[in-house]
Amino acid sequence: MRLVNSSLPRQRRSLSDLLEASQPSIGCSDGSHQLFKRAELKLLSDILDEDERSALFLPILIEMSGDETEAIVLCPSDVEQKVVSYVVGMNLDCDKPGRLRLYRPQLALLRKRLKTTTQYVFSARSGD
Amino acid sequence: MAQLIKVRPTKIELVKLKRRLRLSQRVQKIVKDRLSILTMEFLQAARETVTARRRAMTAMTDVYKAVTVASGYHGYVALQKELVACEADISVTAGPRSVAGIRLPSLELNEPAGGLRGYNLTQTSALVDAASDTAREALRAIIELAELQRGLELLGTEINRTKRITNALEYIVIPSLEVTIRFLSMKFEERDREEKARLKRVKVLLARKEG
Repeated sequence: MRLVNSSLPRQRRSLSDLLEASQPSIGCSDGSHQLFKRAELKLLSDILDEDERSALFLPILIEMSGDETEAIVLCPSDVEQKVVSYVVGMNLDCDKPGRLRLYRPQLALLRKRLKTTTQYVFSARSGD
Repeated sequence: MAQLIKVRPTKIELVKLKRRLRLSQRVQKIVKDRLSILTMEFLQAARETVTARRRAMTAMTDVYKAVTVASGYHGYVALQKELVACEADISVTAGPRSVAGIRLPSLELNEPAGGLRGYNLTQTSALVDAASDTAREALRAIIELAELQRGLELLGTEINRTKRITNALEYIVIPSLEVTIRFLSMKFEERDREEKARLKRVKVLLARKEG
């Protein structure tokens, strides 16, 4: 579990912070750095307004919990939900607070558009 | 065929084996999940690589055409003089990005600030501008292709490795544990039955003695 989750972010940074940084990146738990693409940050900043930019913390985490057909996007605030809904192209609602269910084709679409600003988390709890 | 693991036939070992089996099944679930994610990413990267390669080829063809037309109009020496004057190093931001525990390269071309071209705009025609634009486009396509192609290779290697782990768990580790647990359980049941039979026999002997 530690191996597959080795490159999780040590701390998440807000979009507004990253937009101002000369080299937008975050530190990972294994000591490495993950770079964010400017094109993706620009896409996110175009979707969101000023307040939402400071409320969105990157990377957006996608939890995989043993169910091969679906994934859970962790949404501590509504901004993540808004971003994912925009990228996927349909209105999505959290069926549990802070947890947005995505099916495989939607996940593929999300990862295609946001390669560096989303990250997988593997967990052993059964998918609920 | 699953092989029996050599362990001492004790209840402690049985408990340990059951714990190991549960852990293996959990690991197998995670590894399978990871494999399916890696496969999804690989297929996506493969599709994108095909598109990027096509785009790079088209961009390179366009660059050669544009440069040929521009050098035909200005003359090769004059064009070369202008291009030598505006020569600059390419700046690419490179760093890793992580996909399910593996690190893939992430490359991004840094655009020059202000969109300055570097050559004399008054002494050159729009043909040079067009050549410059297509060259920048080709450069962008090449960098994208490089990133995708390296990522594809790394993903392929990791998929192979993960597949081997999944197969080892599915066909060797878990079946061996199951077989050993079944063997130990049967052994303990047999021991219990023997114990019961012995007790019954003792009971009969005692009853006979008293009688």
